[in-house]
Amino acid sequence: MRAGCQHCGRRGARGRVSSGEAARLWLCLRVSLTHPGSRLALLAASRRRTEACACGTGGEGGRGSTGVRGRHRAGLPCAPKGFAPRLDGGAGPRGALLIAPGPRCLGLWLRLPDGVGWFGWPPSSLHPFFPPPSSSPSQPIHRAGARPRPSSAPASPPPPPLMSISALLSMGRCCCRCCCPRGLWMLSAPCCDDRRMCVCPGPRRIGIPVRSSSLPLFSDAMPAPTQLFFPLIRNCELSRIYGTACYCHHKHLCCSSPYISQSRLRYTPHPAYATFCRPKENWWQYTQGRRYASTPQKFYLTPPQVNSILKANEYSFKVPEFDGKNVSSILGFDSNQLPANAPIEDRRSAATCLQTRGMLLGVFDGHAGCACSQAVSERLFYYIAVSLLPHETLLEIENAVESGRALLPILQWHKHPNDYFSKEASKLYFNSLRTYWQELIDLNTGESTDIDVKEALINAFKRLDNDISLEAQVGDPNSFLNYLVLRVAFSGATACVAHVDGVDLHVANTGDSRAMLGVQEEDGSWSAVTLSNDHNAQNERELERLKLEHPKSEAKSVVKQDRLLGLLMPFRAFGDVKFKWSIDLQKRVIESGPDQLNDNEYTKFIPPNYHTPPYLTAEPEVTYHRLRPQDKFLVLATDGLWETMHRQDVVRIVGEYLTGMHHQQPIAVGGYKVTLGQMHGLLTERRTKMSSVFEDQNAATHLIRHAVGNNEFGTVDHERLSKMLSLPEELARMYRDDITIIVVQFNSHVVGAYQNQE
Amino acid sequence: MFCRLLSVVGRQRTSPGWQNWSSARNSMSAAEARSVALPTQAQVVICGGGIMGTSVAYHLSKMGWKDIVLLEQGRLAAGSTRFCAGILSTARHLTIEQKMADYSNKLYHQLEQETGIQTGYTRTGSVFLAQTQDRLISLKRINSRLNVIGIPSEIISPKKVAELHHLLNVHDLVGAMHVPEDAVVSSADVALALASAASQNGVQIYDQTSVLHVMVKKGQVTGVETDKGQIECQYFVNCAGQWAYELGLSNEEPISIPLHACEHFYLLTRPLETPLQSSTPTIVDADGRIYIRNWQGGILSGGFEKNPKPIFTEGKNQLEIQNLQEDWDHFEPLLSSLLRRMPELESLEIMKLVNCPETFTPDMRCIMGESPAVQGYFVLAGMNSAGLSFGGGAGKYLAEWMVHGYPSENVWELDLKRFGALQSSRTFLRHRVMEVMPLIYDLKVPRWDFQTGRQLRTSPLYDRLDAQGARWMEKHGFERPKYFVPPDKDLLALEQSKTFYKPDWFDIVESEVKCCKEAVCVIDMSSFTKFEITSTGDQALEVLQYLFSNDLDVPVGHIVHTGMLNEVGGYENDCSIARLSKRSFFMISPTDQQVHCWAWLKKHMPKDSNLLLEDVTWKYTALNLIGPRAVDVLSELSYAPMTPDHFPSLFCKYALHVYNEVMNVGQKYGIRNAGYYALRSLRIEKFFAFWGQDINNLTTPLECGRESRVKLEKGMDFIGRDALLQQKQNGVYKRFTMFILDDHDTDLDLWPWWGEPIYRNGQYVGKTTSSAYSYSLERHVCLGFVHNFSEDTGEEQVVTADFINRGEYEIDIAGYRFQAKAKLYPVASLFTHKRRKDDMELSDLHGK
Repeated sequence: MRAGCQHCGRRGARGRVSSGEAARLWLCLRVSLTHPGSRLALLAASRRRTEACACGTGGEGGRGSTGVRGRHRAGLPCAPKGFAPRLDGGAGPRGALLIAPGPRCLGLWLRLPDGVGWFGWPPSSLHPFFPPPSSSPSQPIHRAGARPRPSSAPASPPPPPLMSISALLSMGRCCCRCCCPRGLWMLSAPCCDDRRMCVCPGPRRIGIPVRSSSLPLFSDAMPAPTQLFFPLIRNCELSRIYGTACYCHHKHLCCSSPYISQSRLRYTPHPAYATFCRPKENWWQYTQGRRYASTPQKFYLTPPQVNSILKANEYSFKVPEFDGKNVSSILGFDSNQLPANAPIEDRRSAATCLQTRGMLLGVFDGHAGCACSQAVSERLFYYIAVSLLPHETLLEIENAVESGRALLPILQWHKHPNDYFSKEASKLYFNSLRTYWQELIDLNTGESTDIDVKEALINAFKRLDNDISLEAQVGDPNSFLNYLVLRVAFSGATACVAHVDGVDLHVANTGDSRAMLGVQEEDGSWSAVTLSNDHNAQNERELERLKLEHPKSEAKSVVKQDRLLGLLMPFRAFGDVKFKWSIDLQKRVIESGPDQLNDNEYTKFIPPNYHTPPYLTAEPEVTYHRLRPQDKFLVLATDGLWETMHRQDVVRIVGEYLTGMHHQQPIAVGGYKVTLGQMHGLLTERRTKMSSVFEDQNAATHLIRHAVGNNEFGTVDHERLSKMLSLPEELARMYRDDITIIVVQFNSHVVGAYQNQE
Repeated sequence: MFCRLLSVVGRQRTSPGWQNWSSARNSMSAAEARSVALPTQAQVVICGGGIMGTSVAYHLSKMGWKDIVLLEQGRLAAGSTRFCAGILSTARHLTIEQKMADYSNKLYHQLEQETGIQTGYTRTGSVFLAQTQDRLISLKRINSRLNVIGIPSEIISPKKVAELHHLLNVHDLVGAMHVPEDAVVSSADVALALASAASQNGVQIYDQTSVLHVMVKKGQVTGVETDKGQIECQYFVNCAGQWAYELGLSNEEPISIPLHACEHFYLLTRPLETPLQSSTPTIVDADGRIYIRNWQGGILSGGFEKNPKPIFTEGKNQLEIQNLQEDWDHFEPLLSSLLRRMPELESLEIMKLVNCPETFTPDMRCIMGESPAVQGYFVLAGMNSAGLSFGGGAGKYLAEWMVHGYPSENVWELDLKRFGALQSSRTFLRHRVMEVMPLIYDLKVPRWDFQTGRQLRTSPLYDRLDAQGARWMEKHGFERPKYFVPPDKDLLALEQSKTFYKPDWFDIVESEVKCCKEAVCVIDMSSFTKFEITSTGDQALEVLQYLFSNDLDVPVGHIVHTGMLNEVGGYENDCSIARLSKRSFFMISPTDQQVHCWAWLKKHMPKDSNLLLEDVTWKYTALNLIGPRAVDVLSELSYAPMTPDHFPSLFCKYALHVYNEVMNVGQKYGIRNAGYYALRSLRIEKFFAFWGQDINNLTTPLECGRESRVKLEKGMDFIGRDALLQQKQNGVYKRFTMFILDDHDTDLDLWPWWGEPIYRNGQYVGKTTSSAYSYSLERHVCLGFVHNFSEDTGEEQVVTADFINRGEYEIDIAGYRFQAKAKLYPVASLFTHKRRKDDMELSDLHGK
């Protein structure tokens, strides 16, 4: 029996599974490695690049120093070189979990106040050692520590930290960590104690009023790194973190001071925590005996490490040329994701319609877990494609299914290897889709009318949301699937989808992701044309719509604190049945649902002032744009991008990036007197300048680099970038949201040719 | 015509260099306003007024052909010839290229005297720098080969380099090669001189005349269509440089001339404060990827960068060549390299960065010879940026080829027919030249395989073998396994084996060879060229008996090893022929014979026959079972009796099935896959010559010990019989010999490759043609030809067995001489004393 992963509840994770708790942890780590967006995956990627640890990656790393290998043979793993302390700013008592995963060496690196500790697995083989030998590759970490250890061995070495299994397990992922990163806020938040559940509220999108919380629950569920984070907060780092958190996220509940005071009041070390850092006295002695804040932190990710993190999810697709000619109005697209949540809740999709013309691209921003965004990213394009299909093709497909023949392929996906499709649910999804096209066949009785793309998009969105809702109501005999459809329905996702067919561009948007068109004016400058409206409190028309849809009595409660019912930021979304179903239905489904669901505080919670559901819809707003030769590209991105960058900057950066590739001014000597030395200097300068710009082969990566690393002058600051990317996943969400970007590049020649034809 | 030409030359001479080019051109086009009437008929039409075209015209006219027309679409000596850097260098990797360059050098040297036109010829010498030991080895190899063909050169120390050129930074050098007789010359002036000499000999030259296409009737050139009218002709020579590819395709029956242009940059500077002397040697810093020569007191420096810019992929017209942009950013690495080599140049003022496209071919060798498809259509192009160095020699060989039917040297390595249709796509060429251009200055190590444009043709077993660890080499576009990496080997390290010493696949090949000798191995030999010849009557046998030297009138099912000889008795093809039925024959030839052999057969088959010749290469997968247990494996799979005396030729469908069955059954006999490196080691230790490598169209069966495969008295005449009879009477002038290296340490010494000079009693007698490590003799074995040069006159004399046996031999590998034992017959090894006849035949069949 394959256990569901601790990390994300996914089953069927890659790798061998044996029985026992050790295997569960192991599985979890393995999954972490393969799981998209996980920090571990990122670390693994960066390690591969830096060739840090010979033992961890085996052949990949290649040339570890012999010293490392020697130690590995002796039964001790080496400290991975590329591992950085994870906390921003001053050196705190690093509780950051550093993991050296690999096929041959499983060990946990725990950065403790005094150096690096290693914990083997299973617990019987714990090999803590202090400090790491100075010649070992763990040197950088040591160096990074606040103060180098005296060369002579201390009279009384620091106590070897011991860890209980439960502590280790809690270092493994808890699904509800999405709320944990808030650190302070989570103290009072109800945490789900079931780690496989992923339906607890994301902190930003859905705010939940403080309810009864139980400390034992909290400290059990809170990931160890966060526990270790507290001393840091106590140590005058608080204001700084608090400040940056506010700087990054505009108006978050967590930043209001009452919670902080509350947190301090409520905090008492719990027995479980005490076992973790036994002996307690020593711990505090260490943490408090040092002035972490005073020691400047100098440990940054190197540029290659930064790049490997940024590029881990990048994907480029070039529309193939035929006979040297490209007849598509799309040249290709670049896409990329940078996670802040762990696992990432954003999804992206891109596919070419095979039975009709056109290409579909979309970004999906999930909240309260990734289940819904995952499902929508897998299914929505099929619904759209089916809606676009002519009657005959639908019949043909239906006949093929009927007689068991091979299906016509409908979509050609362009996927990054990390973009997975869930195998388990494919049958279920297919059946729902089939019902949809059967209905389409029945509805359209042969009179072949032109299919309106706008209508097709709206229908597909609404239908998919309907199906998600229905599947959750009906349930599934398979307990795993049953749980899956419920998770999908109780979590939510926004979607922003573009359909490009020749010069016809349709953008269907539900929620607060955005589509932005990059237009190059005649003078070469760039301007942004927004092709979608955000569905949130900033949009007057949406406010108006909501008020009209509900009785006057609810006018004040329907949108509170800029959130739907005071809870949800986007005003349109897939899933989120808590805002769609009647109270009765919710209760019925939860009661009959699996225990995990039933135990969960969040799902049981009914939004306040919930009188006239549904409050939420998945119906998209469709914008049509006819492409012109000056429309050079389209940026689809989740709000993670738009809240860090102004749209004008986004378009300018992408535009300059895309054209910069072609239009670097060549140098000519002309009639001037230039010496070889001068020319050489000039060229070297140009080269360094170019290489910084063209580090990215992917426009989306380039944009993310700017979004995360831009300093106040609007240029990428490596130090800042490095800090932002080395944030532990628990903290990352405080500084930024998941970012997902697709940059579609248009072929001006083809677009121009279309224009000339007419 | 000639007067006008001379006026051009005169103007040329007065202008100091290319920068006055535009004014010269303007005056030309004004002069060109009036149209010139073309002749309606000529024997030869040459297209291209660059150095190649003029050189061919010059040599043809010298050899007595008078009725020659040379057409140039723009102006004489424009294009690449005009922009050429003007360095004449004889240090080449191929012997034939060395000879061409040497001849060019001598020709240009006396050209000024002959024609009275200044060519700017200055004997500066050139210095090839080595920054690494490997580079020095490479230079030493070239050095030892240059010396034996009479070109002086020596390996010198960095200190000596500094004396030769005072600007050079020599601190990072480990050595250098000095070739004192290399020269610099103005290539455009050379072309003009050649043209004027040719013109004096009666060649008619017309510029501003473009060839539109060549007219062909029944596979024979009949004339040329130009923009100024038609010219009837027998021979057409395509010397169109980078436009040769397009011109070839413009025919009704397209002719594929695989070449592609890349942008090439060099820098010109103003003179130094103390101008460089005109005799300053040319510097080639291949590790820095640059060359530097003196130019009007300043520097001319260019190079071959790692990231070339292919150009004219879609074909462009001549005019654009004038407007090519300079690209300083692209030149930056080369500029850095130049300043590292000559730091004092920092303050030197730039004059211009010249962008001069050069053509490159898929294998870095030039293209010459007659088209396989159209008789009378000759090509000389694709010079890989050595057009000036090769111009004279290449023109001479092509002229000989046209006049006598074959050139005086073996030029198979440069023959157009070495390419097939696969290598002619624009995409392939574009990708391949991007690999070839940097290769010009890359270290050339043995057993180089191109990385681009691969997997053009594969055997049906490709995936199967690939999954079993096959490493691939390419021949004539066909993927062939080199060896099979055992699953536990570190794959990464193997891929990067670039060495002049013992390669890291040594152990792998050893185990394969051992398996071949003790058990059984299977080798996929599908790449071999396979033809089927059938006729309705006895004509097939008649024709083949005339074309082949051995007696083919054998019982059905038998295989005959034979040679396809030319009039002088040389091997045009070395092949095996199986008689499938009374009237049909199956012919197996080396892989790269596909085009050449086809052309030869087509040319010599009666035109009006009912013979059916079919290329069935792609229809058959050939599996070669080698080893003492091969018969056991086969007899388990087949009902036909398998005895050494009666070995049937078996044809099965379903290659994959057969392979699987063979592997299954062979399991108990220890069967495994083997690659070509194993086969090569086996064939060389058994003294089997391979066509294209050891033997060529200037080698007769008698010279390589294959009398037994020639039936002089088979009852009818065959091509080359007279020559062989005469040779039998007179004795041979060279003899194929096997050398076993005695004091060569396989682990520590440089490995032989091919082309190493052979010394007999201290006298140079010839060069090796191939070599391999023999795992059973545990020695290196080299194959090569021994000549007997007269000590007084240097003339070739008869080589007898006695002459060979009574000699002390040494092989020169990069300057180190190793003692060798000469053998005229293969050595029985420990493993092979029980060798069966069919083994021998089988391995023989498949040569290299």
